[in-house]
Amino acid sequence: MIKKIETGEDLNTLREESLGNLLPRILSPEEAEGKNLPIQILVCVGGGCLASGSRKIVDALKDEIKQHGLLESVEVVETGCMGPCVFGPVAKIMPEGIFYQKLQPDDVREIIEQHIIKGRVVERLLNRDAMGKPIARRNDIEYFKKQKKIVLRNCGIIDPLKIQEYIARDGYQGLARVLTGIKPEEVIETVFDSGLRGRGGGGFPTGLKWKLTRAAKGRPKNVVCNADEGDPGAFMDRSVLEGDPHSVIEGMAIAAYAVGACHGYVYCRAEYPVAVERLTRALDQARGYGLLGKNILDTGFDFDIEIRMGSGAFVCGEETALMVSIEGYRGEPRPRPPFPANKGLWGLPTLLNNVETFSNIPAIILNGASWYSSFGTEKSRGTKVFALAGAVKNTGLVEVPIGIQLGELIYDIGGGIQGGRPFKAAQIGGPSGGCIPREYLNVSLNYESLAELGAIMGSGGLIVMDDNTCMVDVARFFMEFVQEESCGKCTPCRVGTKRLLEILERICQGEGEEDDIERLITLASEIKETALCGLGKTAANPVLSTIRHFRDEYVAHIRDKHCPAGVCPALVRSPCQNACPAGVNVPGFVSLVSEKRYAEALRLHRERNPFAAVCARVCFHTCEDHCRRITLDEAVSIRAIKRFMVDQEVTIQVPEMRENKENAEKNIAIIGAGPAGLSCAYFLARLGYHPTVFEAEHRPGGMMVQAIPAYRLPREVLAREIRMMERIGVRIETNKNLGRDFNLGELKREGYDAVFLGVGAPQGKLMRIPGEDSEGVIEALGFLKQYNVRGSFPVGKNVVVIGGGNAAVDAARTTLRLDAETVTIIYRRTRNEMPAYSEEIEESEHEGVRLMMLTAPIAIETEEGRVVGVKCHRMKLGEYDRSGRRRPENEEAEDFIIPADQVITAIGQTIDTTEILKDFELKLNSRGFIEVDPVTGQTSREWIFAGGDAVSGPSSVVEAVAAGEKAAVGIDALLTGKTHAFWRECKDSDVYFDPDAEPSDDPREKLPLISVERRRNNFDEVELPWDEATAIRQAKRCLRCDYRA
Amino acid sequence: MPTLTIDDQPVEVPENTTILEAARTIGIRIPTLCYLENLKGIGACRVCLVEVENHKELVASCVTPVADGMNIHTNNQRIRKARRVVIELLLSEHGGDCQTCERSGDCELEDLANRMGIKKIHYPGEKKPRVIDESTPALRRDSGKCINCRRCITVCSEVQGVYALAPQNRGFKTVIGPAFAQNLDTVACVQCGQCAAVCPVGAITEKDQIDEVWEALDDPKQWVIVQTAPAIRAALGECFGLPPGTLVTGKMVTALRKLGFRAVFDTNFAADLTIMEEGSELLQRLKRAILEKQPVALPQFTSCCPSWIKFAEYFYPEFLPNISTCKSPQQMFGPIAKTYYAEKIGKKPEEITVVSVMPCTAKKFEEDRPEMCASGVKDVDYVLTTRELGRMIKQAGIDFLALDDDQQDSPLGLSSGAADIFANTGGVMEAALRTAYAIVTGRPLPVPNLHIAAVESLEGVKEASLTIEDPLEEWSFLAGVTVKVAVAHGLANARKLLEYIKAGHGEYHFVEIMACPGGCIGGGGQPRMTNNEVRQARINAIYREDEGKKLRMSHENPDIIALYREFLGQPLGERSHHLLHTTYRERSRV
Repeated sequence: MIKKIETGEDLNTLREESLGNLLPRILSPEEAEGKNLPIQILVCVGGGCLASGSRKIVDALKDEIKQHGLLESVEVVETGCMGPCVFGPVAKIMPEGIFYQKLQPDDVREIIEQHIIKGRVVERLLNRDAMGKPIARRNDIEYFKKQKKIVLRNCGIIDPLKIQEYIARDGYQGLARVLTGIKPEEVIETVFDSGLRGRGGGGFPTGLKWKLTRAAKGRPKNVVCNADEGDPGAFMDRSVLEGDPHSVIEGMAIAAYAVGACHGYVYCRAEYPVAVERLTRALDQARGYGLLGKNILDTGFDFDIEIRMGSGAFVCGEETALMVSIEGYRGEPRPRPPFPANKGLWGLPTLLNNVETFSNIPAIILNGASWYSSFGTEKSRGTKVFALAGAVKNTGLVEVPIGIQLGELIYDIGGGIQGGRPFKAAQIGGPSGGCIPREYLNVSLNYESLAELGAIMGSGGLIVMDDNTCMVDVARFFMEFVQEESCGKCTPCRVGTKRLLEILERICQGEGEEDDIERLITLASEIKETALCGLGKTAANPVLSTIRHFRDEYVAHIRDKHCPAGVCPALVRSPCQNACPAGVNVPGFVSLVSEKRYAEALRLHRERNPFAAVCARVCFHTCEDHCRRITLDEAVSIRAIKRFMVDQEVTIQVPEMRENKENAEKNIAIIGAGPAGLSCAYFLARLGYHPTVFEAEHRPGGMMVQAIPAYRLPREVLAREIRMMERIGVRIETNKNLGRDFNLGELKREGYDAVFLGVGAPQGKLMRIPGEDSEGVIEALGFLKQYNVRGSFPVGKNVVVIGGGNAAVDAARTTLRLDAETVTIIYRRTRNEMPAYSEEIEESEHEGVRLMMLTAPIAIETEEGRVVGVKCHRMKLGEYDRSGRRRPENEEAEDFIIPADQVITAIGQTIDTTEILKDFELKLNSRGFIEVDPVTGQTSREWIFAGGDAVSGPSSVVEAVAAGEKAAVGIDALLTGKTHAFWRECKDSDVYFDPDAEPSDDPREKLPLISVERRRNNFDEVELPWDEATAIRQAKRCLRCDYRA
Repeated sequence: MPTLTIDDQPVEVPENTTILEAARTIGIRIPTLCYLENLKGIGACRVCLVEVENHKELVASCVTPVADGMNIHTNNQRIRKARRVVIELLLSEHGGDCQTCERSGDCELEDLANRMGIKKIHYPGEKKPRVIDESTPALRRDSGKCINCRRCITVCSEVQGVYALAPQNRGFKTVIGPAFAQNLDTVACVQCGQCAAVCPVGAITEKDQIDEVWEALDDPKQWVIVQTAPAIRAALGECFGLPPGTLVTGKMVTALRKLGFRAVFDTNFAADLTIMEEGSELLQRLKRAILEKQPVALPQFTSCCPSWIKFAEYFYPEFLPNISTCKSPQQMFGPIAKTYYAEKIGKKPEEITVVSVMPCTAKKFEEDRPEMCASGVKDVDYVLTTRELGRMIKQAGIDFLALDDDQQDSPLGLSSGAADIFANTGGVMEAALRTAYAIVTGRPLPVPNLHIAAVESLEGVKEASLTIEDPLEEWSFLAGVTVKVAVAHGLANARKLLEYIKAGHGEYHFVEIMACPGGCIGGGGQPRMTNNEVRQARINAIYREDEGKKLRMSHENPDIIALYREFLGQPLGERSHHLLHTTYRERSRV
């Protein structure tokens, strides 16, 4: 028999009575020490863990406890959501606070026998930190450390179905306090002063809303709780209802008292059966205890709540539509004003807040406005619950003080991106919100700063996206969602978003038109301005926001018919080919290798990239990063397969050529025999032109020969591919330096019809620190070039290399081979941020290069004008900067000196255009490189084209190849008025493939390397080829994403 | 009273006035589409957007109440741009072929697009899927043309209380129509056509029977005659640009002759006949109730309105015994024409084609009811709405405005003023009382100019009472009896009245119900758009017609007297029973 709580005294008594059972859960292990508390095993039975099987864990635990005769000393408690759904089912052993995750019923016996009985923590079930170290205690897990739980204060701690446990946690004390001694106006004042804003999305000041509702004429008034959580990925309201329903009930009752209402409704979607069930039971309990109903706590205050279930229309989260739905009509918004505060449900004054908002109220009443407003930022007080979803490692619910940085949320709490991929953007606020790109990882998550970036706080749905996400596709997805959820009442939302969707679909299909972006912006802005309700007014936000932050991606789809993320099926034949800057048909050559058709494979490669052998050594293989096999195990070893393929070339494989008399008579000059220039020449030659390549150095190859050391790219490999080009009609003249030996004006006068500038970015950047000009300090490219082209360079004993890019690593490994005793790379960020290829960094370490991270040079120490060391400062990582990386900041520590007799600087490269162009005018971009049309490579002068590092800044071989190809097509189009790039046509593979067969289960293999000892003092190629069987086996790992039935 | 500024003009309007209405008071016509006068704003189309200073977004003026100190702009670049986008979007989904659309030239969307100067649709895309619903006799729905303005839903629900139409599905797939996107014949539609009367485009129209009528007229074997309802003469002129309320009786007759009708008659004649029958029926019920103390269904309800009949059959079957068994004037005319008149001109019923011109779409349904074959063949063959007749006249190349006046033919063309007022709310009641009172007392109705002012207004539910003094001896049992009558127009009002009666209130003897607001002059087949101003103008014209006639009471119509003498015998007699009376049946709503 339930004893009704009739007074505040009764409530206090019940609290005291119930507190004991809660002690193991709320005392710290230290406080619990010696109190002889029973063991309580808390198992999450929130929606997420239920779905991953926590019910079975509960049953198994109860079973084992019984079997082991532990019923007296061990209790199983079913709680609401603990947060990290990705680890579910999860459990906590209290009072020790040991956190177990990903539990299977089979694990339960071990927990009981090892942990409970023998006191041995079961290590394999623990959470692990970034380094893989197991963490036993919940409070030591990064995920929980930065959280501040107010809304979720009881979730994961109490049994939601026991009102006593809520009461033991000071539940209903707030209600008791207001009913027995605080005037409604004062309650409202407190809520107002707390700075609490509506957590449903709008962010309207809660206290003000209460004030307006209280002031409204008309009776009876209603209190409505919006539990129609609809943002994809957001489930905080559900978790509160499932894990702590009484906090919502109490919040509503306090609100009702404050505004003068006597009836409440919770509008909850029927898709939340667990929430509805637990809330129903909580309401019954509250009524049973007299905390709802007539004359609550003998104060004359009457209040009761009923649940109304909606069938899950997104628009019913809009307050007017929600109320219309409660009234029994089709949930459609109506115009405001009148606002619900004045004319709401049934035309009566109505206070409408969401679950999270109400759940904050009891805590605010008990702890005071200033306590609450001490969290958060100036205009956005308190905490906010976010639902982390998408590509982040630790998906789940987190509650943090408002104002936390996005980067902290994703990396510190969320554990970063799955698979270590790059973070691309986060969609905040669901379909009404916007995306935040990596440049803004340091954004403070508050109402104002999010709005400035075109996003909204919304209800706290936060979908994290990695580089495999196409932002046009994201916009398309949200428009599809809006189209499915728009009530269809007003024209802009019904038709306007449909038109947006159609345009986006067209773009994703590769049928975008030039003015589509402007059309999208205009229409989206008009929809914002003209739609009837909140849904419509914000419906186009994802479109505007993705255009704002990822306009390039739209341009790529529309202009280049390219989906950079490799998502849009119509534009992507296979993710690897799509990711290759040169567009090499990767599955094509890989599958040909699997059939031992090496010559064909090589020819297919050279259709799009002549430097097959070079790239087999030096390519940074974005293809592998996007290989779909990653989702299965690991990427196909595409570069290694390529290496095997090119090694099989006996007679030089020349590509398909198109003889053309008219073209042969044209004069085309190519300046710079680097990968861009030579590729441009190669593709022009295939169209029947006979271009002439002018090279400043005495050997062709550009950076491939000047910068890349021979141990990575043997010289003969490169020479052979250059010979192949000469064979098809490319003429190379060395020792011809633009600006010194000839100039562009002369070329024009000599009758050249077109010129391609592939002069690279050969000048090293200055560090601008004292001592930089002293003897023994050299810039990396100068050093590498000197050694690689001229054949020798004196190297010091103790070398310090400054920088984190490929040039730095190449220079370090070269000096090591040239007998330096110690080689140290210093870099001001951490290894994760180093732009050099990770394989190269790894090998440099093996070879003995010392990496000193978070170290910034501040001066070159000299003696008599000669370098003797580098003065350094310790750095630490601070906030996220515009590059999406943590900014290095000075650590408070003593400066220190690294002794060195040689310093090689490698902090970036640039181009000195005045030296090559003299007074010839050519438009440059903002970074000082040559500006070109991105499709044709044409410069501001019609007859001059450019590509490679001179245009893009320091980049890779394969990107230079792509630029050369584009320019070749551009030049051909200039000279003939047409495009003849026959190699761009897609040819279907004739390699047999059985789509129904299971994929090969061979694991990924790497190329063997010569041992570190054997690398000293020589420049032999480090990587060794595979045998044929390995190559074929590896080639068969390809999933053939290019296959079309 | 809030004071505000609209386009730099100060204006003071009562509380709760919308911006749109406030603007109209100072001569600013903000363009609208979903807006319907005197009804709760819908706010769906977003055409009437205006700028309110210090508001972030534009607001829909039709649903935004004024507030003191508002500063409003109704015409600037921002607003024009927004309105244009909205209309372009509507045009982009609207599957209309303007050249072949019957609304061409009378289409509000077309008109708006022209007025906004739209020359190109910048956002072309998928059109609305086209599903044609011709499942009912009266109405044709073309979902491809629907622009989801929801006017039809608003009138069907709020004005008519029928709720046959509702929005369904979501987003672009939203369709307006009967539940589960079924055809109209699957729901309790009363065929009143108010939806067609407010549809701004060609999405809901009357089912056109012009071609069938042309075919009949061209058939030399057929003797095609026409009857025109009382309400036509006060509205047909609007099809030719005349102001509402212009009486065009004479020109209409001439035009009908030019179209080729062998004889031009008048439904008014049948209205007089209806009064004879229905008045007698009322008196008989009263006699049975008061004198003979028999259980009799009272009040007696009028039966002229086919939508009301269908409404009762669906929603208030318990009142079916109360409805007068008299057929409507249209359906009285048909059998009389095919029997009495046919005999006179020596034709068989099947050689005569009866065409009605009605202000009503439900009349198309009514003539199609299986019981309406008293003459042995279909009593009425085709029903044209006022709008259809207007189109036929245009198709025939007739310069309507230049026509001379002519008079209806005999014997079915002569009518009293009482018949004219069948066209408007309260009219049937007044006409019946004129005759009934005269029969009972031998004196004319003791009211000024024979008008019962209390039932003539546009008020939704009206009542009046009349105490009978000094009756003729035959009717002495009515001495001192106060006859209580009620009138409702608009079916939502009818619902209110019926519920009131059901609850035991009123104790009326006679109740007139007309489905359409204002009565037949506001019928679903009348020229568009009908608002209260238009209704009043048409009503005024009808009363002018009534008052201009020497004959003001049905029983004085000599042709009616002749009809009884030569053919029917007496009201409620054997032949009347067979030809002029009918029965009703309960209808399932699903």
